[in-house]
Amino acid sequence: MAALPRRIIKETQRLMQEPVPGISAVPSETNARYFHVIVTGPEDSPFEGGLFKLELFLPEDYPMSAPKVRFITKIYHPNIDRLGRICLDILKDKWSPALQIRTVLLSIQALLSAPNPDDPLANDVAELWKVNESEAIRNAKEWTRRYAMDN
Amino acid sequence: MEQFESLLTCCVCLDRYRNPKLLPCQHSFCMEPCMDGLVDYVRRQVKCPECRAEHRIPYQGVQGFPTNVTLQRFLELHAQIAGELPDPTAGQIMERCNVCSEKAYCALCAHCDKKVCDDCKSAHMEVLRREIVRINNQVRRGMNRLQDILGVVERNTTNLQTNCAAVAGEVDEIHKRLAKALKDRTDFLRTEVDRYLATELRNLTHLKDNLELELSNIQSNCDLAEKHMNDDTEWEDTELMDTKEIFLKTVEFLRNFDYEAGDYNRRVRFIMTHDPNQLVMHVASYGELNITQPNAYSGGLQPSQGLTRSKSDHRLATQFRQQEESKNYYENDEPILGGRKFGERRPPPPERHTRDYNVTDDYSGYESEHRPRRFRSRFVRSHQQDNDSDTEQSIRSAKTEKQEKEKEKVVDTEDATRGPLSGIFRLSDCPRVMQRIMDAESGKKKEKKEPPPPPKPVVQPTPQPRRPPPAQRQQSEDDEITRLKRQNKGAASSQEPDRPAPRPVEEERTSIARKPPTPAREASSDGESDESVGSLQRTQQRKAPPPVQKPAATGRRPSADAPTPHRPAARAPSTESSASTESSGSAVKHTGAILTIAELKAKYCSGGPKPNPRLCSTGNERTAPVTTNGTAGGAQRVQSRFVGSQRPTPAPAPAEPAHDEDSDTSSEEETDSSEESEEEPAPQRKPESQAMARSDIGPLLARSSNARSDAHDNKSKDPPPSQTRYRSRQPSQTEEEPAPRYGAGSSYNNRYGSKPREEETTSSIDDDSKYPTARSRYLALKERRNRLARSKSSHTGFGAGDDDDQDEPVSPTTASPSAYLAARYGSGTGGSELSRSRSSHALKSRESSPERPPTGEKDGAALSSWARYLKNKYGSRGKERDTSGTSSSASRRLSLGLPLRSANELASSDDDSKNAAGSPISPTAATAAVAGFAAAGSSPRSQYLQKRRLQFSVGSRGSEPGCFTWPRGIAVGPDNTMVVADSSNHRVQVFDSNGIFIKEFGQYGSGEGEFDCLAGVAVNRIGQYIIADRYNHRIQVFDPQGRFLRAFGSQGTGDGKFNYPWGITTDALGFIYVCDKENHRVQVFQSDGTFVGKFGSFGAKLGQLEHPHYIAVSSTNRVLVSDSNNHRIQVFDVNGRVLSSFGEEGSEDGQFKFPRGVAVDDQGYIVVADSGNNRIQIFHPDGTFLRAFGSWGSGDGEFKGLEGIAVMTGGNIIVCDRENHRVQVF
Repeated sequence: MAALPRRIIKETQRLMQEPVPGISAVPSETNARYFHVIVTGPEDSPFEGGLFKLELFLPEDYPMSAPKVRFITKIYHPNIDRLGRICLDILKDKWSPALQIRTVLLSIQALLSAPNPDDPLANDVAELWKVNESEAIRNAKEWTRRYAMDN
Repeated sequence: MEQFESLLTCCVCLDRYRNPKLLPCQHSFCMEPCMDGLVDYVRRQVKCPECRAEHRIPYQGVQGFPTNVTLQRFLELHAQIAGELPDPTAGQIMERCNVCSEKAYCALCAHCDKKVCDDCKSAHMEVLRREIVRINNQVRRGMNRLQDILGVVERNTTNLQTNCAAVAGEVDEIHKRLAKALKDRTDFLRTEVDRYLATELRNLTHLKDNLELELSNIQSNCDLAEKHMNDDTEWEDTELMDTKEIFLKTVEFLRNFDYEAGDYNRRVRFIMTHDPNQLVMHVASYGELNITQPNAYSGGLQPSQGLTRSKSDHRLATQFRQQEESKNYYENDEPILGGRKFGERRPPPPERHTRDYNVTDDYSGYESEHRPRRFRSRFVRSHQQDNDSDTEQSIRSAKTEKQEKEKEKVVDTEDATRGPLSGIFRLSDCPRVMQRIMDAESGKKKEKKEPPPPPKPVVQPTPQPRRPPPAQRQQSEDDEITRLKRQNKGAASSQEPDRPAPRPVEEERTSIARKPPTPAREASSDGESDESVGSLQRTQQRKAPPPVQKPAATGRRPSADAPTPHRPAARAPSTESSASTESSGSAVKHTGAILTIAELKAKYCSGGPKPNPRLCSTGNERTAPVTTNGTAGGAQRVQSRFVGSQRPTPAPAPAEPAHDEDSDTSSEEETDSSEESEEEPAPQRKPESQAMARSDIGPLLARSSNARSDAHDNKSKDPPPSQTRYRSRQPSQTEEEPAPRYGAGSSYNNRYGSKPREEETTSSIDDDSKYPTARSRYLALKERRNRLARSKSSHTGFGAGDDDDQDEPVSPTTASPSAYLAARYGSGTGGSELSRSRSSHALKSRESSPERPPTGEKDGAALSSWARYLKNKYGSRGKERDTSGTSSSASRRLSLGLPLRSANELASSDDDSKNAAGSPISPTAATAAVAGFAAAGSSPRSQYLQKRRLQFSVGSRGSEPGCFTWPRGIAVGPDNTMVVADSSNHRVQVFDSNGIFIKEFGQYGSGEGEFDCLAGVAVNRIGQYIIADRYNHRIQVFDPQGRFLRAFGSQGTGDGKFNYPWGITTDALGFIYVCDKENHRVQVFQSDGTFVGKFGSFGAKLGQLEHPHYIAVSSTNRVLVSDSNNHRIQVFDVNGRVLSSFGEEGSEDGQFKFPRGVAVDDQGYIVVADSGNNRIQIFHPDGTFLRAFGSWGSGDGEFKGLEGIAVMTGGNIIVCDRENHRVQVF
């Protein structure tokens, strides 16, 4: 395997040295491009108090292409489907090499704070969110408590 | 500061900006790889990572974006403030690593000669380090070899000195002796003269006194008488009477006195016993230094083996170095240090090519010819060496200029410290290395990642004064030039001593010594005739099957009659007549096919003790169930069995439905019966065959007596045959015991001393006394040869009377072995022919002998072996041809055994004796031959039992004529020459029986007449060389002069294809047997290369082979194969059926370890080169152990890796001692 690009090394170092509050990203021991990520549910959101596990993988041509990020912990969110896939523009067409792992994770954290049901991925959740936001939030809280709090 | 830092950081690579490019949106990014990676090539746009603005890419790419100069200034400023080192990669351009294909700042890696990234490079350096450690271990292990050699060289130095001193002493001694003898003789002669003078003078004065007295007396008497004898005086009568008496007496005295002038006229004359000129010549050249090595240092008479070997090693080392150096010029990927300085980079290929061209120009002709050969002649080599060192220098200097700047160069060390043989120099002499070591020791780490000093094999603890690195780098061209000059000088002076000074002299001498034994005058006539005959024969052989049939039929008829018991007596005349009447068809009779039939019959009649009658007579066969086949069936049988089995239907004219089958069965029957004949013979036929065998004596004796009487009639001056025979036999009895027939020393006396005198009582009784020296005898011989030549013509006249196609002008004076062969094979008539060519050969050898007097005596020995050889090989066949149609002489020979042989001998020794008057040698030869056979029962055995002591050895390592590099196959040529496959010199060398170089042919390559590590050699009976060209996977055939005739075979496993053919041999019929080593089989070919058959397959069972190496065929057509990896010798019949096998792995008597060479003598004794045990083993014909000798080592009679082996006609065993690079003769 080719040597790790300098940028990844730098980013990893910086993530370790100056961790972002509420976010932890630890590279896998076997693959420096694979990160175990834990994001705390932002305050004032239905996900508050939850610890959400994600996986993040830096593809071969990173930073020219976006990292692959997926929720491992089940989450009730209109932009995240049952498989944990995230609908976030910076992970798709709005990706820029100027973004980094930390910015991506911050964006994801921000996404938890501000669900965007107009650009849904999980249609049923988005529908409920639009139709009956409170129930949706209740569901989200329920899910958070059930899946993101027991450990 | 933090923010300032981040402002200087590219947001894509998160690194300090490198060559920041400003986008129209005012965001800056590194040009590479950041900006590069942002490019959308499809839309030719770049999207700003910060603001996502899209910008069109300028025409010339992202370089076209303006550089953010401000940012760059900031970067510089920051670097100054922070005291950072300048970016090492500044100004470099990123490339893809050629190993991991990552984009990075790449540098040239010396290991793989590619531009690679740092990571890969360090990995490669790690690899290199490990390799060096490994190689260093090897070097360490191999170093003692060099030390051994050093020891050997030292020993050899002392050896050489002692040897030279001894020789000098010897020469002094001889000088003293000669001087003393000369002085003694001179003194003696002078005193003799003085004494003679004194006595004679005394006598003369005495006589003078007397005469004076007489004169005065008579004078006074006369005076007195005149005065007084008149009337004046009275005289008494008595007085007068007395006076008268006195006067009468005086008158009588005067009348009678005769001065015996003779007495005193005896002039003393000084007569030289030898021609003074010759004597002077003899003295002037009373000895010469015989240095076995043509290129050896001038020195002792007999440089020891070790010396020559080490010398060649030394040369080899030099060669090796040159190879390495020259390789540098010819091959681009040359990873070896050789010729290159430490740390130096190889010059870029294109440049090298131009230089290369210049170099090769000087000797391109030679080079192109010889480049593939690893060993060049010394002359050219040294020449090339000069050139090489030149180019090397120039390349190096060119390189220096071209060095990349950041790479420090190892400055060349003084040339004096380079190893003169390998070109390796001390690493410690290399300033660069020392710098490294010092750095390492002082713990100072260099910034640059450079390889630490590699482990050094020969680092000296005392570092040479070295120049400081800056100076090194500044070394200018001028410095280079001076260095170059110095080096050249050094090279010139260092190479001078390499070449032995006395070389020209030596060469002159060797050229004299090696004067080819075939003088120029032979070339024209003989070569021609030989060739024509050869070609004739070839065509005949090619045409053999069809035309053979008719004459074969006629020729066979008498033979068919022969076995009938009623006609034993009638047979002789019939064969005689058939032989003579068939002179026209004789050409056909010489083809292989006819011989085949004869030979086959011979085999069947006598292969076993009780022959199978069916095969004895083809007539029987014809009356057998196969009768319908008629001639066609018979004709098929005429052909060799191989041919027969290959082509079961030889186009028979009267084709019946059952015909093919019949002929098949007949051939099968034939082979079957051959088995029968050996296994269960028909007893009732036994007496018959015996009768036949007995009857064979009749015609032969009759014939030989005929021949004798013919000879008698035609050559009146010849002594009567019976007498001759007696005389020629007489000495044989005295020489009965296995005397040193070929001992060079004794043979002189035997052959020229007593024996000839015995023989020549009539013609030249005082030969020896008249010509006491060998030299003068040669003159005498020469003289006599001329006489003989004259007489010869009449002789040949009679001999050639009844053959038409023979080439009469094979005149004895120009005869050569090839001429002999031509005569032999070109003519159909028998005994006289034999004698003629024999004698012509005798003449030939005598003729050549004066050219090299020192070996003359040996020549005589060779001659006799020649004669024997002829007897063995052709003499009997000559008869066979005469009586061809009856049964072959082989059958006679075998059925009758000894008596017949001696009968043959008699017949031919009788031929010899016809020349007795002229040639003192041939009778001796004949007697030697007779003696050889008389003792045949016990002689070889005892001879072999005595084998142990080395007679002599030939060659040492080297590529000059007479030297070998891994000799492998060996064979004995028709005139007892030794033919050696000089494997790694890719040539064949031919030596005479005394080991004197005759000729060589072949060179490296795959073209016609070129070899690639040839292995086996064989010589067929017409003198053609058959060579197993191992790495070319083919067989090549050369004519007796060494000219390419044909090649056949290629790599493969099919019929007629080879996989490393090794041993090769040929049988009496000219079939070629090849050990196809890697195919684990033996293949058989006709002499023209037509595939005939094969046998053996991989395995250890009986009849299977594993790496068969060498092969031999006995006179009884048993095929012996050294089944090397099965540690045994297997014996096959010519059809490939296993007859027996002997030997197993081990080192006891009769056991083998990887036997290689195998040979069989004409008595069937088997000689095996037991390679793994480094000994020679001799076996009885039945495979029981007789004797073993030899051991590992490089002394006399010691071996290191045996290869081919052969038995000469004199019983000498010659063997290739591979690792000692020599041939030993026992």
